[in-house]
Amino acid sequence: MSEANVAEFEEVEKVLTQYIVVRIGSEKYGIDIGYVDNIVRMQKITKVPMAQDYFAGIINLRGEIVPVMSIRKKMGLSEDVFTGKSRIIILKVEERGNLGIIVDEVREVITLSEDDIEKVSNGGSSHGTPKQSFINGIGKNGEELISLFEINDIISEKENSNSN
Amino acid sequence: MDVGQYLEIFIDESSEHLQTLSDCIMTLEQEPDNKDTINEVFRAAHSLKGMAGTMGFKRMQHLTHDMENVFQEVRSDKIQVDSAMIDLLFECLDALDGYLANVKNTSDEGTEDNENIIKELNDFLAKANGEAPKSSAPKKEESAPKKDDAPAASGGEDVHIPNLELTDKEIDDIKSAKDSGHKIYYIDVAIQKDCLLKAARAFLVFKAVEEFGQILVFRPSSQEIEDENFELNFSFVFATSEELEKIEAAATSVSEIENITSISVTDVAMLDQSQAKEEKKEEPKEEKKETPAAPAATPAPAAPAATPAPAAKAGAANNKNTKVAKPVASRTVRVDIEKLDALMNQVSELIIAKNSIVSMSNTDGNGVNSQGFHEQIEYLERITTSLHESVMKVRMVPIESVVNKYPRMIRDLSRKLDKPMELTMTGEETELDRTVVDQIGDPLQHLLRNSADHGIESKEIRAERGKPESGHIFLNAYQEGNNVIIKVGDDGNGIDTEAVKSKAIERGIVTPEQAESMSQKEIVNLLFMPSFSMAKKITDISGRGVGLDVVKSNIEGLGGDVEVESKFGEGSTFTVRLPLTLAIIQALLVEVRGDKYAIALGSILNIEDIAIGDIKYVENREVINLRGTVIPIIRMDKILGIEPREEDPDVLTVVIVNRGDNNAGLVVDNLVGQQEIVIKSLGDYIKANKLISGATILGDGEVALILDVNTLM
Repeated sequence: MSEANVAEFEEVEKVLTQYIVVRIGSEKYGIDIGYVDNIVRMQKITKVPMAQDYFAGIINLRGEIVPVMSIRKKMGLSEDVFTGKSRIIILKVEERGNLGIIVDEVREVITLSEDDIEKVSNGGSSHGTPKQSFINGIGKNGEELISLFEINDIISEKENSNSN
Repeated sequence: MDVGQYLEIFIDESSEHLQTLSDCIMTLEQEPDNKDTINEVFRAAHSLKGMAGTMGFKRMQHLTHDMENVFQEVRSDKIQVDSAMIDLLFECLDALDGYLANVKNTSDEGTEDNENIIKELNDFLAKANGEAPKSSAPKKEESAPKKDDAPAASGGEDVHIPNLELTDKEIDDIKSAKDSGHKIYYIDVAIQKDCLLKAARAFLVFKAVEEFGQILVFRPSSQEIEDENFELNFSFVFATSEELEKIEAAATSVSEIENITSISVTDVAMLDQSQAKEEKKEEPKEEKKETPAAPAATPAPAAPAATPAPAAKAGAANNKNTKVAKPVASRTVRVDIEKLDALMNQVSELIIAKNSIVSMSNTDGNGVNSQGFHEQIEYLERITTSLHESVMKVRMVPIESVVNKYPRMIRDLSRKLDKPMELTMTGEETELDRTVVDQIGDPLQHLLRNSADHGIESKEIRAERGKPESGHIFLNAYQEGNNVIIKVGDDGNGIDTEAVKSKAIERGIVTPEQAESMSQKEIVNLLFMPSFSMAKKITDISGRGVGLDVVKSNIEGLGGDVEVESKFGEGSTFTVRLPLTLAIIQALLVEVRGDKYAIALGSILNIEDIAIGDIKYVENREVINLRGTVIPIIRMDKILGIEPREEDPDVLTVVIVNRGDNNAGLVVDNLVGQQEIVIKSLGDYIKANKLISGATILGDGEVALILDVNTLM
């Protein structure tokens, strides 16, 4: 067995995860591709009166009603500004159905191995910026640092409050 | 034992039989001498026993077996039905219910032996026979179900093998098995007349004997057996090196087998007359083994195959019991609700597609063929509408399956509370969507228990009030437009509004001042507030504080609502209103600031143009006087949290909606039109206001929210 083969073999042993890199504001975020059902262009979002304010509304995704969340509002950032690059990422969540989140741009798909990811524990950090509560790790893609979303935190009810 | 595929059928049919038993025993309680009912109880118990045996549920089989024995004695007038027996029988039913619940949850009957019930049953039997009570009687004589059969006569009777019309391959198989030193047997199995799962039986027999050898020939063919395409007998040719006794024992261990006849085959010609004229007869062997596991096999030969093979088709040739009616072709199919849901979704898709064509034709109506195009669209609309109706009908089931357990419940409550009362029900045949029927049971039961416990007064008070001694509880169901109404009530005490009022004040729900200004109806509706229980003491039956609020939220979860009317001292009536359909409705589309909303047509009375000057104020609320009725005005933009218009137009478009006795006028910007809409859920992410009950997709792909106007009134 040649050395190259051995190296390849070892590569396979590591846990690799693919992430979709999106831009929200000036920062880049990674979404585990396993959660992503679909990426759709911006379309008319029907507002639902008196819903949680971080819900932009609902859309018609090929005959299904899918709620769309403004991740910016949930993270306590400024209002969404829709441009030609804005996209809705449709996340598939077992048992609770699909959910869309609005991002400013979809950049690329990257593959990170466990070694490239630095875990971030978000519980109890009292001085962190608000948005950290939805991040479970920082991925190193070459020179770039990419915040990795914890999807379960995004879909959970608790809103980012400024009390911490 | 692979009987999993029959489990669902077993559960369904057992529930039906248990229901029959329950109904019949109720009847027997009133008319202990009703022979028809006694026979029916007997039959139901017997069927249950058979089915439980088939599925290998021994405890259930045992219990039903003993019930059957008792009824055998009742049938032959040795025991009289008395109230002690009725109570015991109800206990049996509860125990069987318990088994069935276990089967439903775990596919197993559980481990409860219910020994004391069985012992009591046997005590009854013993009394009838003038014996001392036995501890248990698992091996009690089995002849009960087959009294009409000829008494057992076995032994030297000649049994012929019918002409099996073997194929060449089968002949070769038999010959080669013989050559390799195996013994060949022709085995004929007769299944009990009332066996319900014949194919399963046959399967179990085959499985049992195949441990000892190989089946060479099936008559009827294995496919036909699998399809239950045979009457009571089936036979097979078997090659084995084991003793015949072992095989017979294995086959007899399967329950509900009437008897087994085996003939040792020495020559292929015995099986097929075309091979030779000569017919050798071996000493036939009649089986009459009884195993405790399967006590149903009894010596009652149904004279299988007594005629030597008419040249008729091999499949039925060996069946002499042809006078047993052929199985009536089933007119119903059991369909998995998921499949119906899928079908329903497809119909929904079709309607959405149709709507989009309609909207295209409306916007682009000056095409060349627009006339023909419109006609075709109308045709398409007719088809989709009727398709939708058919699918809805398929999903409808009568509420009977839910409400027929209530008489028994009221009976038990009546005894427990020592208050005579009776339940009358009408409209059990009223149909509702299956999903609604499945969930309406608990709320209705709760209301009935309330009536029994709190509604009906004690005997003494009833006598004082000059009411008949026996309390009357009713459940009336009927259809009204797009709704099904179920009224549950009693002629009992009614709701003491003063008591409710003081309780509400005590709990801090309302201030004394508010309470003073509340109408009777508003006060009664306080009962639906969470954890508002009026029970002075907590009883088994109700009053744990989980009360009408749960009933209300359950019913609202189904898209319905509940109201109560009551007169103190005279009784109360709860009116449950449920939507007939859940998925597709006719709706009016309206526009408020550019967004479209759908309102169910069923709740709309009419649409009015109201001049701004006609709006009056009553207690600071906007109302209009519409042909003599004062109707409150609700500004849709306001309750939807939308910025109001800077200036009202001169004339407002008002949609008058109705719920029960209440009307309200909704102010909208524009009317869009009427449309059939498919209701879609918003999912559980968005915590929308109760006012929004869902969303729908319009023809042009736009999304409209559905307003539940019931929440406005």
